[in-house]
Amino acid sequence: MSRLKLQQICKYYGATTALASGDLLLERGEIHVLIGANGSGKSTLCKVIAGSVRPDGGTFELNGKPVMLFGPQAAREMGICLFYQELSLANSLSIAQNINLYHLPTHAGGLIDDAELNKRAEHYISKFETVIGEGFTPDAPVAKLRPDQKQLVEIMKTLASEAEILIFDEPTSALDRSQVECFFSILRELKEEGRSIIFISHRMDEIFDIADRITVIRDGTTVSSRLIEETDHSTVIRDMIGEQPEAAALEASLAPQAEKKTESCLVAEGLSGAHIRNVGFSLAKGEILGLGGLHGQGQSTLLRTLFGAEKLQSGTLLLNGEAVHPTNPRAAIKNGFSYVSGDRVRDGVITGRSIMENVSPIHFLKDKTFLAFPSVLARIIEPALGALNTKYSSLGASISSLSGGNQQKVVIARWLTNPPDILLLDDPTKGIDLSAKSELFALVRKLADEGMAIILYSSEDGELLAHSDRILVFNNGSVSRELLGEDKTRFNLYEAAYSGAQ
Amino acid sequence: MTKAISFKSRMATLLRRFPFIPALGMLMLLFILNGIAEPNSMTVRALKGVASTYLALVFLSVGQTFVVYTADIDLSVGAILSLVNVSIVVIMSQFGGEPYVVLLALGAGIAIGALCGLMNGIVVSGLRMQAIVATFATSILISGIALWVLPVAGMPAPSLFWKVYGGRSYGIPNVFFFIAILIALLAIMAKTGLVTKLLAVGNGQLSAYQSGLSVTRIRIYGYIICGIFAALAAFCITGDTASGDPLVGGAMTLSSVAAVVLGGTALSGGIGSAFGSAIGAIIIGLISSLVFYAGVPSQWQNLAQGATILVVLMLGVLASKRINQ
Repeated sequence: MSRLKLQQICKYYGATTALASGDLLLERGEIHVLIGANGSGKSTLCKVIAGSVRPDGGTFELNGKPVMLFGPQAAREMGICLFYQELSLANSLSIAQNINLYHLPTHAGGLIDDAELNKRAEHYISKFETVIGEGFTPDAPVAKLRPDQKQLVEIMKTLASEAEILIFDEPTSALDRSQVECFFSILRELKEEGRSIIFISHRMDEIFDIADRITVIRDGTTVSSRLIEETDHSTVIRDMIGEQPEAAALEASLAPQAEKKTESCLVAEGLSGAHIRNVGFSLAKGEILGLGGLHGQGQSTLLRTLFGAEKLQSGTLLLNGEAVHPTNPRAAIKNGFSYVSGDRVRDGVITGRSIMENVSPIHFLKDKTFLAFPSVLARIIEPALGALNTKYSSLGASISSLSGGNQQKVVIARWLTNPPDILLLDDPTKGIDLSAKSELFALVRKLADEGMAIILYSSEDGELLAHSDRILVFNNGSVSRELLGEDKTRFNLYEAAYSGAQ
Repeated sequence: MTKAISFKSRMATLLRRFPFIPALGMLMLLFILNGIAEPNSMTVRALKGVASTYLALVFLSVGQTFVVYTADIDLSVGAILSLVNVSIVVIMSQFGGEPYVVLLALGAGIAIGALCGLMNGIVVSGLRMQAIVATFATSILISGIALWVLPVAGMPAPSLFWKVYGGRSYGIPNVFFFIAILIALLAIMAKTGLVTKLLAVGNGQLSAYQSGLSVTRIRIYGYIICGIFAALAAFCITGDTASGDPLVGGAMTLSSVAAVVLGGTALSGGIGSAFGSAIGAIIIGLISSLVFYAGVPSQWQNLAQGATILVVLMLGVLASKRINQ
């Protein structure tokens, strides 16, 4: 009898499907790895098991008995505890308080037993003794810790539950090699004790190091579950991709465009900053350069650094042969850079103002216009909006009257009044509908054909493969592989993103 | 250089354990200023006067703290105070001022405070309404009940009641004993698991929920404790004014919030100390007496008082920022 048996678990948020049919069989004393692309439903499945997300359907059996969980507390009572990817720590409380938060040890009178509290915390801290780093004492506040130390506290907090089923949702993303090894040896001990462990990671070598069984989830559906002996890297990646003929066709049709050879207008060497390490590339006029890889591997940071919104610590940047140092967005704009972010609310839209006001700021900056007459502005703005087929009632209407896709078109139109030389697209299609996406990419291709140099980061791999001439795959802040021509396939992209540098 | 850093980090550790240290410094300063402006303000008699006038605000602010811990707020504490004040005065005058009646009235007062807190907690945490608006609404409701219990101010409290509050034992004013009891109570409460859990909820409700805490129930407990402390504050005000007044607490609500902030508790929740709020309440009291002793003309007193509170607030924020950097 399996310890945990999930069948056809589903979860919907409005119209979006987070989980379509999640199946999972968890045995005693096994380390079970869950893998899948971004947004495939792994985390949702874990949260269902830990009771913090209530499923909309499916069966959930624990030790052969069907159960219904009402919240994380109920899950804890049944011996299930989850390591949360986004961490569940209370920053102003101490490490010891966080580790013991669910069961605070008390004296007979009901007051907290500080000695026991620290003793229990020490027990879990000592397991990581050699790798915890400075300032990791039971009474230190979590707020003062480094990201990897916070992750270790969350691991200790999960271990302290002493639950029979432990779920770790990307527990190693901030840890270094020695910390991971220490953690893995603890996991193996737990396995020997007969505990069941679910483990999520994007690092392929880690997965094959620790797993007994690998279950692959794609688009919210469990597609395969194999023992580690019966599988290998490429089988896992193939399961993750599945068959996607239409994307493959698109890729083939666009392949010839990669052959174009023109002079390069932007050359970067050894760029380093907060989240990027030693990034170099050259960008030609009329080229669309794609940035790929898992979420948050430095793609966004690179774009923001080029635009002067993040600090560049070292490296050289040549723009048309001249050295430039991006210090702030204003200077970057004058140098011919432009930046469109997928985070419209934070970086794009000027909320509550009219469409005209949302389109005109770059025009004001570049033309140094002193007075603005609506009639004159309209002659500049209307063609820019028209180029994108933006649908709006009047230029005076509020930006919030538009749909997400049309708002994003307005943000892009802002740059088209005075066309830039280089367009930086930072996941520009996040949260907009399909037709707006295709119109947007048609425009991007047209701009490239007219000679604009474009760098595109997209969190949707299909988009990236279909619309870029060349792809740089990012891993941990640096470029791990360049894909061009026939190599530009989904398989290679996934392999480079998940397996790290070749 | 390293010495300076270690000093700073030691100060930061101290500040984390005792967030009220800047407030304590401010309190000392105000004491000294008061002493300079009017040497007589340092006598036991004058201190007793300040203590008995502001003890109600101290209790009210302490109660408010437990709600602010979870990043909530209770704008009905003043109304609860008024309701408990009129209720106990009415009970005592209906049944006579015998000692057992007084005790009965006190028990009833605490029950009323706890019930009001429970109502606030259910409305805010159970029904998930915005704390600031919901407790504003319940404050009007509770004031309405207070006005129904006692429509006009002025019903006297029995002499036993205010004699105990204003009297002395072994030559020491009784209010000082109350303060000692309060400090002991706060020291004990700070060690309870509930306070840790309130702070955890204030740090992030989602994190607390995911850690397996019952967030809804914990927030309700915070409001109940706040209601009970508002009732204790009402006992103090009844002892001080010796009468019932259905509107007595209204002006004290926001003072209690100010005292909480002065004491080093963040309105965003998750960090702070109830002892700091008690100090904050006394700071507010000392500021008004300083303004009075300094001989500020009566039409300028509010302005001077407000400006001083602002300055003290800024000093407190600056001090903790400097230490934490």
